[in-house]
Amino acid sequence: MTDIVLVAGAGGVGKTTISAGIGVCAARSGKRTLVLTVDPARRLATALGLDSLDNMAHPNPELGLLWAAMLDASASWEAIAHRHAPPEVADRLVTNPFFEAVATRFPAGASYAAGEEMAEEVESGHWDMVVVDTPPSHGGIEFLNAPGQMKSFVGGRVLRILTGGRIPGRNTLFDRAAKPALRLLDTVLGGELLEDIGDFLFDLRHTYDGIARRSQSIIHHLEHASMVLVTTTDAAPLAEAAKFVDQSPGNTRTPIVTFNRSLPESWVAPRETVIDPKLAFNLKRWGAEAEYQRDIRREWRATHSGPIVNLAWRASTPNELPALESLARPVWAALEMGR
Amino acid sequence: MDPFDARLLIVTGKGGVGRSAAAAAFALAAARQSKRVLAVAMTDSSGLAAHLGRTSLTYKPKQIGPYLFGLAIDRARALDEYLKLQLGIGTRAPLLPIARSLEAMAETVPGIRDVITIGKVLFEVQSEEWDLVVADGPPTGQIMSYLRAPRTVAGLIPGGRARRQADTMAETLASADSALAMVTLAEELPVTETLEALAELQAENPIRVSGIWANRVIEPLGVSETSLEEVASLAARNAGLLHRGLYENQRRWRKHLPDHGRLPFLFGVHGPARVASLLADEIVT
Repeated sequence: MTDIVLVAGAGGVGKTTISAGIGVCAARSGKRTLVLTVDPARRLATALGLDSLDNMAHPNPELGLLWAAMLDASASWEAIAHRHAPPEVADRLVTNPFFEAVATRFPAGASYAAGEEMAEEVESGHWDMVVVDTPPSHGGIEFLNAPGQMKSFVGGRVLRILTGGRIPGRNTLFDRAAKPALRLLDTVLGGELLEDIGDFLFDLRHTYDGIARRSQSIIHHLEHASMVLVTTTDAAPLAEAAKFVDQSPGNTRTPIVTFNRSLPESWVAPRETVIDPKLAFNLKRWGAEAEYQRDIRREWRATHSGPIVNLAWRASTPNELPALESLARPVWAALEMGR
Repeated sequence: MDPFDARLLIVTGKGGVGRSAAAAAFALAAARQSKRVLAVAMTDSSGLAAHLGRTSLTYKPKQIGPYLFGLAIDRARALDEYLKLQLGIGTRAPLLPIARSLEAMAETVPGIRDVITIGKVLFEVQSEEWDLVVADGPPTGQIMSYLRAPRTVAGLIPGGRARRQADTMAETLASADSALAMVTLAEELPVTETLEALAELQAENPIRVSGIWANRVIEPLGVSETSLEEVASLAARNAGLLHRGLYENQRRWRKHLPDHGRLPFLFGVHGPARVASLLADEIVT
């Protein structure tokens, strides 16, 4: 049985670093661990043993139980096409100019690809734990919704909208004489483009059965996953965190809310007197920041249930294994409690 | 660097660096100089709205302060307007199905979403109603695709009115009247992304870059090593160490950036409207 930890949150809150740290903690406790990561900073990638740019899993040179792989939506989608479509259709799909766009630009595309990678790895039976750093869109909620959205997209939703009804045969889609709307669209976009899109959407439908089945298994895995929701007390990431909690499907687990870059509450009203005026002024302004953070966390506690972890604000982002481990230790402890 | 030496200022930045706050600050600062300013949200409008002290922005420009107007781009309506006004497709044509089809395709086809959005911004610039249009733009990772969109579309369409429109858009973006401001944090990932985008911008030149702005900059602590070590209060020492560490790290990453403006870290200030107003003070001085 593979345990899954899903790490969600807005961009820029330290999600990728914390995912790596959770992976280090898991490996140190003897679990064969895979971290699926998105766009790590170069020095973090190096610490994880991810110096090459492929999306294969690589073992960590210092910690043998820790493996890491980069999530690459384009590469994953090539694998998805070959997995779910007949060979000749798959070849056509991956060379279609719109394929890359769906893989990387369609909001659910990158998230679905990450979900499929997760399912592949979990079902391989290789791992005790898989840690997934979710692609940064809408604070991670996208990741939970992507399987369903992808199924409906591949199932022809866009085709239906384009043709205003049932999915037609290949010839009738381009019967522009019958559809003034298509004739106009043709004028706006140019006929070739419209045909390319149509071809692409028809080919994509070949992957429907595979993607529908896989979506079910991804959804099943997500129901059993532990969730770590990373945020700071800044307004924008906090709003995304609230959205994640409010919109998560009811059958997923309550996330461990992790406030990164936390300041100690003891700075709010320190009792010691500070003689050096510059240091007194400095403590006062950081105290104001600490007070704001405290109020935000109190407000969160008043309106949300579930575990909360505070991670101390560090001057530099950890990017060596011991520092990653010590950063994520409190999150790891909360994950162990929840098991 | 004068951020207001243009009639269009597009603001970009990686998610989480404070792009919308900076865009609102630019708009406020220009309005304070009695310029008639339109602030436009190109993608998600909630951030810009909050920083301008509003809960939402409308598609129709609405006054939100002295000399200051706000607008949020609604892609479906922008598309409708594009078809009617820009391409001259008559109102009797069945626009709704086309708009819906294009909406659906805008999710997938590169260039369409982008050209409609940037098209609306340029339409407002051309309307001559505004001294300055400040656009809270897409994140740095997507900015090239938006800026390339007019050329991409022009390349797809052999001729006719849509082609001429696309060409005009590309020309307006490349003219001296348009500028791009890049907002970043002095941290590894946003600095790396900014430098990558800069290299692409210099290679393709779809728009000139009028400024790079480091946000949440920490100034030096100004306290000697010994007084920091000898201070009796643990809180004061730790706050000092954190401050100094952040300053050193930021300075290291700022060295990678070309000439840039600085927007300060605002201790304890987080109300979005207040943040924008304080940043606007910094931009003017």
